[in-house]
Amino acid sequence: MKHIYIALFLSFFFVSNKAISGDPEAGKARYAQNCGNCHGPGGMGLASYPRISGKEVPYLTERLKTYRAGTKVGPNSDLMIMMAKPLTDLEIENLAAYLASDPAGKK
Amino acid sequence: MFKKSKLLSAAIFSAASLLAFNGQADTMGTPKISAMSILNGLENPWDMAFTKKGDMFFTEKCKGFSVKTKKGAVNKLYGMKGTSGYNSAGDDLFCEGQAGMLGIAVDPNFKKNRRIYVASASTAHRGSGCKDNFDVCNGNIIMRFEVSKDMKSVSNRTDIVTDIQYKPFESDHPFGGPGAHNGNRLRFGPEGYLWATTGDRHKGDIPQHPTLLGGNVLRIDTDGKAHPGNNPPKGFDKRMYTYGHRNVQGIDFRPSDGRAFTAEHGPWHNDEITALVNGGNAGWDPKEKVAGRGACPDMYCGYMPNQKEGMLPAARAEAGTPMSDERFKDLMPPAWNNNGLSQGTGSAAFLKGSNWGYWEGRLAVGIMGIAFGGTPSGMRIDIVDITKDGKAIKSVIQMPTGLTKRFRGLRMHNGDLYATVDEGEIYKISARK
Repeated sequence: MKHIYIALFLSFFFVSNKAISGDPEAGKARYAQNCGNCHGPGGMGLASYPRISGKEVPYLTERLKTYRAGTKVGPNSDLMIMMAKPLTDLEIENLAAYLASDPAGKK
Repeated sequence: MFKKSKLLSAAIFSAASLLAFNGQADTMGTPKISAMSILNGLENPWDMAFTKKGDMFFTEKCKGFSVKTKKGAVNKLYGMKGTSGYNSAGDDLFCEGQAGMLGIAVDPNFKKNRRIYVASASTAHRGSGCKDNFDVCNGNIIMRFEVSKDMKSVSNRTDIVTDIQYKPFESDHPFGGPGAHNGNRLRFGPEGYLWATTGDRHKGDIPQHPTLLGGNVLRIDTDGKAHPGNNPPKGFDKRMYTYGHRNVQGIDFRPSDGRAFTAEHGPWHNDEITALVNGGNAGWDPKEKVAGRGACPDMYCGYMPNQKEGMLPAARAEAGTPMSDERFKDLMPPAWNNNGLSQGTGSAAFLKGSNWGYWEGRLAVGIMGIAFGGTPSGMRIDIVDITKDGKAIKSVIQMPTGLTKRFRGLRMHNGDLYATVDEGEIYKISARK
């Protein structure tokens, strides 16, 4: 019986984690639409645009939702607010999942 | 007066011409292009400059400058505050936002005097300025160095220009961080003088200001003094060759007549290529309460109207603060306005050498690709055929490099085109007929 509980718990954990962590492949496709023009391939960071590859999911999700709400965080916020406005919750989750996988690799 | 409608007509004609050229590429003698990465793993490489022997100096915006010798060794010569691995460093040099160590040039007489020139943000000459964004802020400088015979060190740093304006604080604008709009491309002209570009640093009165250096192209000697032939309006700083620019990061000299041309970022609209006229005005005036405008955020109207929202590029080109304001009688009209788009023209170099076929003498323009408000990104190098009088273009086509990169700096050397890209590489782009 104990094993069944553990199995149920693990199943729930993985399903839940999947549900909240987004789809990295879909995030990659969304990222390619216009994020990479500033943040570079895989979010490596270019020029004055920061590296976002490898950041954690909660950080990425919170930041994107903050920008989407029109709240400033840092000096170039107006640009991110403009870019984040049309994002859906699902797109934010997908983007966060993609970028958290550190697609640009270690520096 | 040159009208936008004419430019757009030229663009449509050019696009049609491109389609025709593609169909007959081989029989027309179009050169074959190949691109090879010659350095990678760099951090925001910005500019490069060559000795006649083929040694390549290059800057990295937040690190310093180095040299890749003809034999292939890379020597880190002079770093910025907080960097390591450089032979020596300047603790006053820093990077912030768009600012940092940017342009670099090799003295035409390098073989004898071993001199190079580097532009950077610096805290060394601020004095009591820079208290806020409206204060005078001497935060961009041009330095002169002497390079050792073994190419492993530099010495005798002399700051030859110490009063190029710098933006010290954040402002209420898109791209509003400190360090915005520095220009800082350095090139030697055919007459042996040093040409330096500067930016408006988000201060409304700078581009039309008679004495503050910003939004200009400077023509100076190697001690930083004005070329005696500069002809700015009465009361202006004599180092100015032109004024009224926004943020010039591309400049080169047409081989056929030595005339200087700039490539310049537009403000959401109208990147421009301009033939310079001694003492001329590029027509950028982002002051508030002029030209029918009211007050603007932090007294800078450079992104108005509706600066926080996307607009159709054509609507913004029509309604936005004009890049080339026809109010000015001494206006230098642009030869090309990128079809009314702003995609980030970061650099320019005339193609030299018969290997470029009928492209020889045309202007290569590096475009970083900035996609806001419905503007297509367009990372590319354009090849622009400019009319003899410099007031229009005959065609613009895209160079088939096979690369989609943020092209930051372009420079010709020995028949090849070299490009720094923000992704951390330097490319050698070659042509053969």
